[in-house]
Amino acid sequence: MLRVDKASVFFAARDGRAVHALDRVSLDIADRAFVVALGASGCGKSTLLNAMAGFLPLSSGSITLGGVEISGPGADRGVVFQKDTLLPWRNVAENVALGLKFAGMGRAERLARARELLRLVGLQDFADAAPYELSGGMRQRVGIARALATDPAILLMDEPFGALDSLTRELMQELLVEIWERTGKQIFFITHSIEEALFLGTHLVVMSPRPGRIVARYDLDFVRTFAASRDARAVKGAPAFSALREEIRAIVHESDGLRTAAA
Amino acid sequence: MTDVAATQNLEQTAEAAAPKLVKMRRFGLEAGSTLPVSVATGAAILALWWIVAQLRIVPHLFLPTPMEVANAAISIYQDGYANASLFEHVGASFLRIFVAAAIAVVLGVPIGLLMGLNKWAKGVFDTPIEFYWPLPPLAYLPLMIIWLGIGETSKIALLTLAMFAPIVLSAQAGVRSVSQERVNAALSLGATRFQLLREIVLPSALPEILTGVRIALGVGWGTLVAAELIAATRGIGYLIMSASHFLATDVVFVGIGIIAACAFAFTFAMRVLEAWLVPWKGQS
Repeated sequence: MLRVDKASVFFAARDGRAVHALDRVSLDIADRAFVVALGASGCGKSTLLNAMAGFLPLSSGSITLGGVEISGPGADRGVVFQKDTLLPWRNVAENVALGLKFAGMGRAERLARARELLRLVGLQDFADAAPYELSGGMRQRVGIARALATDPAILLMDEPFGALDSLTRELMQELLVEIWERTGKQIFFITHSIEEALFLGTHLVVMSPRPGRIVARYDLDFVRTFAASRDARAVKGAPAFSALREEIRAIVHESDGLRTAAA
Repeated sequence: MTDVAATQNLEQTAEAAAPKLVKMRRFGLEAGSTLPVSVATGAAILALWWIVAQLRIVPHLFLPTPMEVANAAISIYQDGYANASLFEHVGASFLRIFVAAAIAVVLGVPIGLLMGLNKWAKGVFDTPIEFYWPLPPLAYLPLMIIWLGIGETSKIALLTLAMFAPIVLSAQAGVRSVSQERVNAALSLGATRFQLLREIVLPSALPEILTGVRIALGVGWGTLVAAELIAATRGIGYLIMSASHFLATDVVFVGIGIIAACAFAFTFAMRVLEAWLVPWKGQS
């Protein structure tokens, strides 16, 4: 379980003033939970993820994973970035196996493990391809496989589908649900798409900017409905889904309006 | 539905005969090979040279004909020139530049990487490099000769200095071009400092380092030939210099041709090396 306890972040702006990026955010991510953070840009959701990943120290508060305080990046948290960060000088399988290489696993063993993971994301036929030969969606799938390779406790995903076209994006969402079900990982997922947030999450936190904070929390079960029925259109077309989508849209717009009024 | 299909058929039959191929309009140099133009230009220059030399528009002593230059090239190839064979002259120049290049790469790449990573290293090395790098290497050749003598050491030291700076600076720029996201990705996969350097930083900087080596070879080659003109007993520059003492203009032309051919060969070799080492360059 990952626990964020009253996490605050102040950045130094260029003029030397402190920018309040994250304001006493508390959040628990239980085992097997799929937590989605939703918000407009500048609401601190990426700041929160960077702190969880250990790329960013907190100004105050704490983040613990399994009771141990996070003090830097580590292989116990797999990160999937919005921009693909695959190494162009390594083929797909070697990219997936990178974390295992860092851990000192032998070549044959780690490549065999990489092939298993590529099968999980449906890319078993592209093990020997170069990353730049793949489409954007395929590259993100490699990124997910790479993050899973070291068997992390939690998967941190920073708008992983943000750069994809909407058709690919829907397929990737369904694939991710399948991976989540099969691996049983906890996932922390950032998005600015309300629909994506509702479809994927078991838990949803809505964030609002300046200072970045959580303004609403929801427990969702659309993803479980989808997991049982495999019918994404039925899930997204249900009246309950659209009603909640409108409700959350109102919250997001209201908090954005407050910001404009204050500024 | 049927109407649409019918219209499409009509259009297809009309266009099947000779479809007009179109392209997006674009600004600047149009696509297509410039090879015919280049070959024609080369031939024109050669013809002009031949005419000017043949008609004695310029005194023969200053401008031999293309045939005479070709004959001189054959005779140098067969009999050598100025107490050494052609192979020995070219070999002497190559030995100097490759030894110097090897030293410059072995020293320059690690120092450049270090300067990109560490404030202290940058502070320490920046001052001397920024001071001597803008100097034309021939300006300190006399100093090299006073310190190290007229032999190979002074020339190799001169070349090493000339080639060191571009390699250091490019390695340093290479480190700066490493994306923070790539570094973060590696750290979250459990990379140690050393693994980060070997698996991420060095390969990321490699394209820039190779560009630096290419620049260094150009600078080094120019410096070497000039240094051989001034102080050497063997080498392509020396060959030209001794020929000029006897007003053997045809041999001077041959020497210039060899220098050009070598420079072209270096560029070609670097391109092959780049294609082999960094095939991902320019991809996404």
